[in-house]
Amino acid sequence: MEIAASKVIFYIIAAAILFFALLSVTSKRILRAATYLFIVLISTAALYFLLNYQFLGAVQIALYAGGIVVMIIFSILLTSHAGQKFEPVSRLKFFASLLAVLVGWALSLWVILSHPFVASSKEAVEVNMDSIGKALLSYDRNGYVLVFEVISILLLAAMIGAIVISKKQPGDGETNPDNSKTSK
Amino acid sequence: MQGVLYDFTGLIQSIDAVFRASMSDLWATVLEYAIIGIIYLVIYALIGLFLVYAERKVCAFIQVRLGPNRVGPKGFFQTIADFIKLLLKENIKIKNADGVLFNLAPFIVIVASFLTFGTVPFAKGLQGIDLNIGVFFIMAVSSMGVVGILLGGWSSNSKYSLIGAMRSGAQIVSYELSVGLSLVTMVILTGTMQLSQIIELQSDGWFIFKGHIPALISLIIMMIASTAEINRGPFDLAEAESELTAGYHTEYSGIKFAFFYLSEYMNMFVVSALVATVFFGGWMPLHIGSWQAFNHIMDFIPPIIWFILKSFALMYVIMLFKWTFPRLRIDQLLKLEWQYLLPISLFNVLLMAFVVYMKWYF
Amino acid sequence: MLLQYLSLMRQEVSLIFIAVLVLICELTVNQRYKKVVIPITLVLFGVHTILGFVPFDGGKLFGGMFATSHAQALMKSVLNVGVFIILLQSVAWLKKEVNFQKSNEFLILLFSTLTGMYFMISSGDFLMFYIGLEIASIPMAMLAAFDTFRSKSSEAGIKFLLNSALSSGILLFGISLFYAISGTIYFDDLPLYFSPVSPLFALGFIFFISGLAFKMSLVPFHLWTADVYEGSPTIVTSYFSVISKGAAAFITSILLFKVFFNQLYLWKDIIYLLSVLTMTVGNLFALRQTNIKRFLAFSSISQAGFILLGLVNVDSLGVTAIIYFILIYILSNLSAFGVVMAIANVTGKEEIKDYNGLYKTNPLLSLTMMLAMFSLAGIPPTAGFFSKFFLFTDAAKGGYYWLVFIAVLNTIISLYYYLLVVKAMFISPNEQPIERFRSDIYTRTALLITVVGIFAVGIYSPIFEYIRNIIDKF
Repeated sequence: MEIAASKVIFYIIAAAILFFALLSVTSKRILRAATYLFIVLISTAALYFLLNYQFLGAVQIALYAGGIVVMIIFSILLTSHAGQKFEPVSRLKFFASLLAVLVGWALSLWVILSHPFVASSKEAVEVNMDSIGKALLSYDRNGYVLVFEVISILLLAAMIGAIVISKKQPGDGETNPDNSKTSK
Repeated sequence: MQGVLYDFTGLIQSIDAVFRASMSDLWATVLEYAIIGIIYLVIYALIGLFLVYAERKVCAFIQVRLGPNRVGPKGFFQTIADFIKLLLKENIKIKNADGVLFNLAPFIVIVASFLTFGTVPFAKGLQGIDLNIGVFFIMAVSSMGVVGILLGGWSSNSKYSLIGAMRSGAQIVSYELSVGLSLVTMVILTGTMQLSQIIELQSDGWFIFKGHIPALISLIIMMIASTAEINRGPFDLAEAESELTAGYHTEYSGIKFAFFYLSEYMNMFVVSALVATVFFGGWMPLHIGSWQAFNHIMDFIPPIIWFILKSFALMYVIMLFKWTFPRLRIDQLLKLEWQYLLPISLFNVLLMAFVVYMKWYF
Repeated sequence: MLLQYLSLMRQEVSLIFIAVLVLICELTVNQRYKKVVIPITLVLFGVHTILGFVPFDGGKLFGGMFATSHAQALMKSVLNVGVFIILLQSVAWLKKEVNFQKSNEFLILLFSTLTGMYFMISSGDFLMFYIGLEIASIPMAMLAAFDTFRSKSSEAGIKFLLNSALSSGILLFGISLFYAISGTIYFDDLPLYFSPVSPLFALGFIFFISGLAFKMSLVPFHLWTADVYEGSPTIVTSYFSVISKGAAAFITSILLFKVFFNQLYLWKDIIYLLSVLTMTVGNLFALRQTNIKRFLAFSSISQAGFILLGLVNVDSLGVTAIIYFILIYILSNLSAFGVVMAIANVTGKEEIKDYNGLYKTNPLLSLTMMLAMFSLAGIPPTAGFFSKFFLFTDAAKGGYYWLVFIAVLNTIISLYYYLLVVKAMFISPNEQPIERFRSDIYTRTALLITVVGIFAVGIYSPIFEYIRNIIDKF
């Protein structure tokens, strides 16, 4: 019975993911699209919680819902205003992409469903904070310390790059001196 | 020992057994979820209402007034009356606002706040969900609320709301770092993120004493940063009433406004509960070394009382912040975080790691 | 233990060390002494490049996540040579007032992308590979948008970022299907699960190779290339067209030979098709370009098609030919870009017709450009001839005569448009040719290196033998 219940919950979550994902790509208003994306991400986190993989679920919420979606919404707030809508897609484009999506979807679905997946023979390990922490800092097989460290290069480079792009050019700043100092 | 006296685990388990005996597993699960959900909703609302009342009283105390005093004894039922009023108020529709998002925003805020509320450990065995990653879960879920605030501010189609939302977004995103880091500092000491285990580990002394200097620094940063994260004064730039009318919820009325308002107070409760749990032993009674007699007396006070006392004391401090400090300007606010709190927290993480490595804690 | 890690990761460690040193300089060094940072970096990177050729035994670290060998060290060294030349060429551009403020950031970003390529080449599992790929591409978008005052540059950055995000998504979907089949991401374990081939593997492989093709800008995944190349600062364009492409080609060959070796019959047709399409379409588009950067962009697309020739026949000669080709391609293309940059730095002109009559005023530059064009086209005394020759030999050895035939046809077409540039410089009359000017010492050194390289690498056969020896051992 437990299995049946979790199946029902799974289908509810999956339906929510699909439904809001569709809404997200078809919505004409950009912020609504972002909000639907937010719901999709939260529902994905729910899927992880259903699998009892709480850490990944929490990471999903913290990173995507709390980080990336906030970032997306912020950039929308800074660049567009309420009531702005996308221009409708031309009919040819719409049908062409619909065809591509359907064919790709059908092909992938057919291939994936026809594949005889073998259940893993390895024993299920309990995924708690301890094992995750040890795996992250282990330098043996299935340890991720190298990736963990290398990602910091990526983040550092991305930060420096963001500063480079947003930094004012020497000529730009003259008309706009540091406001915080003058308003004191 | 002290846990045994007021252990709710057995009680909860026997209730569960009764349910499972009388119906199929599936329905027992569903029913239990429903019951727990309803109980939590009621407690959530009641604590929220009480907090609004408490805030008004504290405010009155600071300003040497009486505060609410007509409805019920000492005005105790004032907020309930207010709540009924809010329920009956009209839900105003805003012209040119994005209706879907406008209506969705308060729900996102309150769901985020309610999810964190579910993990609060009231006593041994009295906890909605005891996740292995408890502390991290609270951090993760509480960051969802900002989405609701941003959406609410934007979809109101008003510049005050938008400015408030932007301020609040910037503020929450920055102060989350310090909150997270100070919690990380404590997690280094505790070695676990599970709230129930964190409390168990404090049976022989609270972490604020065990971790001494780094724990104290972490506590101070946590109090400041979490006050900012829940948008409370003196960091309430998002709703600065003298500049922005009411910030991101200016355009809201009726029950939707109540959602924003309630979630703000409940976030304060969750933050205090979290601080109480991580630093002050949660429902664990105060024990002092080898004073056996004293410890025994303390054990007789029920854990719920301990928990409530601790978290309300912390909330009192947060309320005092609001009514005694002047509001910060946005640049001061960001400067405080990025130039002072964040470097100190980073240093503090190192310090705590060093202390734990050298085993210099008690 | 530590020594072993250091010796195996020496190239990565020393490169990151240089990057961090530049960062520290940026944070601490006084503005007045800032101009010293660039020469010091150049010297350090030169030392790093030379040390890269010192042979060390290969090995595996981190449980197989990081793998290196003589061949992989050589690939990194080839990239190093290219980056060193690019650094030399960039000095004049970095010293301009608009760029000087962020010259150190430029260096850091450049080095971090190179670090990403190193890790990509040395990756022993898909996770490391993917992270390396991202480090190699995200800072690239920042570099493409480096000229913040030009909207075309920002456009290039955005286009590159979106395209690389899309291609990463496709690539990751392919990888996830591989994981679904095997339950592992380590390159050593994967081949065990891939045979017999299932439809799921084929699907995953198609997604995977499409993602890589995006990065290598193979046709039909090349549409972003021209705009990004045109919009980026010229130095970044040259980096895109040689280093990024070279690294992507290296990792593709490593993966195909290491992980998908047994599925050769499956992917050789895909590579065949991609190769033919890329050569032909790249050439046809290059024919009608008037902007020299766009022209070089399309010519580099068609060059990528030639690289694929070395993949269809799996043997050590193929890999040798690829490395050799990329080395020479780096030299020739950087020589061409060096001239373009030298002219653009002084005059800001980027159209082919601006080059009319260049020989009269700037004979040395024109000769260099001519050599580069000859080498790219594959005309005998230059190295470009030999590199193409070996690729064709390898493909012919595998029995792909039609492919070689098409490649030769394409070489002839490319000869036409490469010679158009030469014609513009030497024959076409021009009332107002570009004035005579003298570039700075760094640019001249860079051009000298490339010119010497274009001759020496082709004629001096031990270089080819050296690469071949290393590959044979691998």
